[in-house]
Parts: sequence; structure tokens; C-alpha cells
Amino acid sequence: MTRNLARYLPLTETTAYILLALTEPMHGYALMRAVDEMSDGTVRIGPGTLYSAFSTLESEGLIVKVEERERRKTYGLTAKGRQVIEAQLRRSAILVRNGRRCFQGPGFTSPAASRSEEEREGADR
Amino acid sequence: MSDDVMRRWRWFWAWQDEEEEAWLGEMARSGWHLRSVAFPNRYEFDRGAPRDVAYRLDFHSGSKDMAEYLRLFADAGWEHVGQYGGWQYFRVEAHPGEAPQIFSDNATKAAKYRRVIGLLVALLPMVLFWTTRLGVAGGPLGSAYGLAGLLFLLVYSYALIQLIRRVGELQRWSG
Repeated sequence: MTRNLARYLPLTETTAYILLALTEPMHGYALMRAVDEMSDGTVRIGPGTLYSAFSTLESEGLIVKVEERERRKTYGLTAKGRQVIEAQLRRSAILVRNGRRCFQGPGFTSPAASRSEEEREGADR
Repeated sequence: MSDDVMRRWRWFWAWQDEEEEAWLGEMARSGWHLRSVAFPNRYEFDRGAPRDVAYRLDFHSGSKDMAEYLRLFADAGWEHVGQYGGWQYFRVEAHPGEAPQIFSDNATKAAKYRRVIGLLVALLPMVLFWTTRLGVAGGPLGSAYGLAGLLFLLVYSYALIQLIRRVGELQRWSG
């Protein structure tokens, strides 16, 4: 990867999800719903954040407007945007791999165990 | 004026806009619903049933992309109540225990205050021009104007510093 792409990394979770969703071009509202669904509701993008992110990502050439209809702009990922999200995913995979290794040792909760703990907490509520 | 309409003037500092949001929410809970906002800082409320409403402020000035901007908020379920001086007032019905947000990360929340800073900096040459001109009129009136100009500059710098501080606060934890 070239050095000028490295300056975008690491992406915030919000930005990563926006780029990921835009592998399939869509407009803002569709994107908000797509990200909510993809992330199991852990990432909910507000319209203020999305509008701001769209203009930044567009001016950086990571996304591009592909269509505008009824005042809704449809954006898609550029080749540069794709390179950035792919680089981010490689970084995230390393992070997750390390997390798994650390939390499966003795005295730590495995990811599977903490998940069922969360579910139990959810059931209590 | 009828008892079902209330007009209020209320000043708020740009870096304390979240307090303003909370206040508008309290007004709604006591049955006063924002009908319109107008320059300068003038609110009009309609009396109605008390409701849980989340008010949120964004700063977006100029007409560039305004229709597209408002469409995005409307699509996401936010009602645009009005705007003055670049401050955009949005609201949505809130369910108990939920605090709907228009910004979901600190980076874009900080960008809102940076837009206010951008406007203040853009206006700075004009402000400096007028405040320095006011003082040179001479005589007692001239010094009164000069003093007013100086006070204005002090408030202006104070606002800039507070806004920069707010941006820094948000960026300290941007994970």
C-alpha cells in the first residue's frame, strides 16, 4: 500500500462501515439502514454525522457521487476508497486475532463466553 | 397575544448548544413546543400536550446543498423546525430511555464547532476593520465607540477560545 493511503488509517468504525456499505452504491438513508443492519445495531449513524462524512470522503476522493435524484445523492466507492477499506480490514483482522489469543488464556473470558454473558444480561433487562 | 403562544428571547453560546437542546426538551415536556426560531435568538412556542421530544442543533450555513442536507435529516425521521444564523433546529419524538442523536461520533460533532470557528475566522477581518475604525472618530463619542469595539473584540476572542477548547475536548476521546 502506498504511503499516502496510510494517512487515512485507522478509520473510525463509522467511516469503515460507510465505506464497506458503499461497495454497493446507495444514498444516505439506505446507507444508514444498511449499516444499522450490518453491524447488528452496534453502529447507528446519525444524519449530521453522515452528511459530514459524505463531504469529507468525497473531497478526499474515497467515494464519488454516481447519481442524484429527488435531492438524494447516491455515492459509490472509488478505487482509492476500496484500497483504504481493504487496508483497514487487514488491520482489524490482526486486532481481532490478537484479541482472541489474549482472551482465551487462563483467567480470561473467551469471546464465546462473554457473548453468552451479554445475552444473559440482555435477558435480565 | 393568546395564551397558547409564548415568545422568548434566549442567548446561548455556540459551545453550550447541548444545554440549549436540553432546555428545548424540557419546554416540550412541560407542553411548550417550538414553532419557529428567528434572528436574533427569538423562539416561538405553541402550547400543547407535554411530550418527550429530542431537540438537536447543527450548524450549517449557506444555501449550498441545503435541500439535500435537509432531505437526509427528513429521511432519518428528523423534523426541521427552523434555522437562524446557520443554527439548524431538528427534533424527533423520543421514547423513554432513548436519546436520539444526529451525530454518532465525536469527530463529526467536533466538525460542527469547527464550522462555527470557520465562520468567526472568516468574519474576523471585517470585525477588526469596524472595531478599529470606531475608535478613531475622536472626542468622547469616539472613545465610547472605541471601548464598545474593544469589548466586542474581547467577547469575540473569548468565543473563539471556548470553541477551540470544545473541539479539543471532543478530540481527546475520538476512538
